Amino acid sequence: MEKKNSYSRRFFIKASAALGALALVPKYVSSFYRDIKALIVPVKEHINLTVSVNKKPYTMQADTRSTLLDLLRENLQLTGTKKGCDHGQCGACTVHVDGERTLSCLTLSAMTVGKEVTTIEGLSEGDDLHPMQEAFIACDGFQCGYCTPGQIMSAVACVKEGHTGSVEEIKAYMSGNLCRCGAYNGIVESIQKVAQHETI
Amino acid sequence: MSMSESYYLKQQDTEGRVEARAKVTGKGKYAAEYTVDNLCHGVLVGSTIPSGRIIAIDTEQARQVTGVIDCLSHQNRPLIPGFSSAEKIKESGFGLPIFHTDKIHFKGQPIALVIAETLEEALYAAALVKAEYEEAEFDIDFDKKRQEIALQESGKERGTLEAWKQAKHVVEQSYSIKAEVHHPMEMHATIAAWTAEGHLELHDKNQGVNNVQQVLAGLYQIPKEQIHVVSEYVGGGFGSGLRVWPHVLAATMAAKQVNRPVKIVLTRPQMFVSTGYRPASWQRIRIGADEQGRLLGIHHQAMNGTSTYENFNEGITRVTRLIYDFPNLKAESATVPLHMNTPTWMRGPGDCTGDFAVESAIDELCYTMQKDPVQIRLDNIASVNHPDNKLPWSTHFLKECVTQGAKMIGWEKRSSQPRSRTDGDWHVGYGMAVGMWNASRGKASAAIRMTGDGHMVVQTAMTDIGTGTGTGMLNIAHDVTGIPKHQIHIELGNSNLPPAPSQGGSTGMSSVSGAVVAVSNALKLQLAQYAAKSNPGFNGVSADEVMLSADSITLPDKANVRIAYTDLWANNLLGQIHVEATSEPGEERKKYAFCSSAAHFCQVRVHQKTGKVKIDRMVCVADGGTVINQRAAANQMSGAAVGGIGMALMEEQFVEHKLGGLIADDLAGYHFPVNADAPIVEVAFIGKPDPNINPSGAKGLGEVGIIGTAAAISNAIYNATGKRLRDLPMTPDKVLLATPS
Repeated sequence: MEKKNSYSRRFFIKASAALGALALVPKYVSSFYRDIKALIVPVKEHINLTVSVNKKPYTMQADTRSTLLDLLRENLQLTGTKKGCDHGQCGACTVHVDGERTLSCLTLSAMTVGKEVTTIEGLSEGDDLHPMQEAFIACDGFQCGYCTPGQIMSAVACVKEGHTGSVEEIKAYMSGNLCRCGAYNGIVESIQKVAQHETI
Repeated sequence: MSMSESYYLKQQDTEGRVEARAKVTGKGKYAAEYTVDNLCHGVLVGSTIPSGRIIAIDTEQARQVTGVIDCLSHQNRPLIPGFSSAEKIKESGFGLPIFHTDKIHFKGQPIALVIAETLEEALYAAALVKAEYEEAEFDIDFDKKRQEIALQESGKERGTLEAWKQAKHVVEQSYSIKAEVHHPMEMHATIAAWTAEGHLELHDKNQGVNNVQQVLAGLYQIPKEQIHVVSEYVGGGFGSGLRVWPHVLAATMAAKQVNRPVKIVLTRPQMFVSTGYRPASWQRIRIGADEQGRLLGIHHQAMNGTSTYENFNEGITRVTRLIYDFPNLKAESATVPLHMNTPTWMRGPGDCTGDFAVESAIDELCYTMQKDPVQIRLDNIASVNHPDNKLPWSTHFLKECVTQGAKMIGWEKRSSQPRSRTDGDWHVGYGMAVGMWNASRGKASAAIRMTGDGHMVVQTAMTDIGTGTGTGMLNIAHDVTGIPKHQIHIELGNSNLPPAPSQGGSTGMSSVSGAVVAVSNALKLQLAQYAAKSNPGFNGVSADEVMLSADSITLPDKANVRIAYTDLWANNLLGQIHVEATSEPGEERKKYAFCSSAAHFCQVRVHQKTGKVKIDRMVCVADGGTVINQRAAANQMSGAAVGGIGMALMEEQFVEHKLGGLIADDLAGYHFPVNADAPIVEVAFIGKPDPNINPSGAKGLGEVGIIGTAAAISNAIYNATGKRLRDLPMTPDKVLLATPS
């Protein structure tokens, strides 16, 4: 972690004491250990990053720690991709990386170099909607709408992967996307609608 | 309410929601998603002990991190006038006086806020803040602590306990429910900014912008007009957005301190200790019936957890006074203070909890009496008068819900003998339960702005947390005025718009529908007045006689009376017409009692070897009066049933008793239903308007969709396995280890 160039006197004394005293004063080991741990955390690094989102290249100086999710939301203002847990547990941040559904909160932005990222904003072109977006509107596949972009990105992948053989199969392959409003009836119906259309 | 205001929807909506396109394209902006110049990020630091006092906070290391702007705590925060003394803190009713106390009431209590240029920097620096504490004793074990608490009378006793002491059939049992957390998919977030003039601009996630405005105006002691709250898209609430929580205040304090806009987005673990939860509860029920199955009496005792700094009584015994006409009723309740954050209303608050116990006990009574649970409901439901205040129900269709639900599930397939049907390794069973909710209505205002091209904007401050408020407003405005839907635009969730109550307790549509009807009529009358200047046919007409088409004002009964808006606007030199109207409950509230109700039926399978419970079918029939938007209403009902499945089978906030905090506090540890946990929920409505509640006849649906669900599932598990489970959630281990009774 990058530190400021000027350190306070108190900080300097504490840090030197921590390093020096570690071996000598076992009683304080745990607290000193915490201090030292904080000191040796890797410095903040920027990298020059080019990511392709919705077929458009973005070049920027990015924090190496930035997840794809935070990069999209905070740096590129593409807020259609949602943060629901930041831990890969809810699916709200689902995007497509090279056409595969991917959790953007578990993907460091640096990992997407050379790959094509598609978000909800890039699912369709111009004013036209993707058939899955149309289906979610027609089947009322949402309530509050917060998990919806992730549901739609997963739903598109679910159809592409061919997991639409039955209600049970759709439900199983859509269970990585939580919906607290419980709009699962409409989500399943939307996917059935698109899947039927695609097989005809 | 006068009869001339009365209006029922003539048609059902077949199109998508007004905001559908914004939601499916990701363009709708939720609180944390606004682009604000010069924005910085705040991350809260939580206490690591459950009880005690902060001795020192060390922010030195955090401040060394590049990008860190400031670090806020009780030592350096700007003073909030409403927290300037202990008395004022109490008066404020805010609960936790964040950064204005050194006392620790629960683990995770915010003790500092790190403000930095980027989210990454703030998150990292927050991990470097350290505090020293003086630790104190804590109580966090609800079941242990409740033993020390005495019950108190809850409402008036009816009859006596003595009167039914010799009842032929009696069931007496205890029930417990673990705490549950709302967890809307959007984590609570606030962007706060102070203008040079001392005005506060907030983008905030909540269920009532006027409430946020009011609370913060009180704390800062500034006129509420100086606070502007925008909550146009709200990613769910379920009750968590009905209060203004400490993080909202932290953002406003930080924005003042650093003189820049500050954004705080709670993390999912922070959501467990920041925005309330349904408290853990214990109940004991003694219920009796005579030989014919007529309910004679109930003794209902209930306790729920609360915090040490605020008292929250969930109102668990309220529902006992609502559904059945017990000649004898005694209710007692108490709250149990724990070192946890304050709980709050969560979908179907109180009633959901109480109903699980009452409806489980009645089911148990049915087996004791060898009577059909459906028949016992039909024989005992109080369908004429409210059992407590004796006012006649304005409308009451719970018995119809029960009959229709039984038909839909195929109740006749149920065996009255528990544990008598199997399918391979699975036991199969059926269960049902009913639920009710007092249907309320608040005072709400709405405005219409119309231009000469026949387009209009309907506005209210009320939020739309996913319930379909905007679509409901559109449908009503279209039906009352006649203007085509594509010429009507909706604006909501903004405190600059006409005031409306918070969206909670199933009152949203009931309240705002009256306002939209009123303002639509006001618009018609205003246009008729202008029209009368050039065509006397419009003189003295009533709102009902006027209809607005795409391009003209007309009197449908008189074919030749018609003026184009273009002429009307030109003749009267009009720009934009602006009308505003307010609607509120009146005398009808003294004459009638109002309720929404629902019956839940389900078919479950229980695995003999693993205890896994699978809901094969879930049927819900509801009476919510007029259904203003069929699809959104059905969606809300099925979604509520999904919530009920969570309550019944999996939701539990895990409390660790030794260290005094929560564990498994993320969405991997806290399970609510995924898509595969729920069947396709089958929903039906009675759909008859309530002529007295408001001009739309809609009574509200948000709560009744969940209330009876858990009991219906528990009753079905009994029917399948002969195991009576009285402790929620009914996880596979409990199901497997229970003994058939």
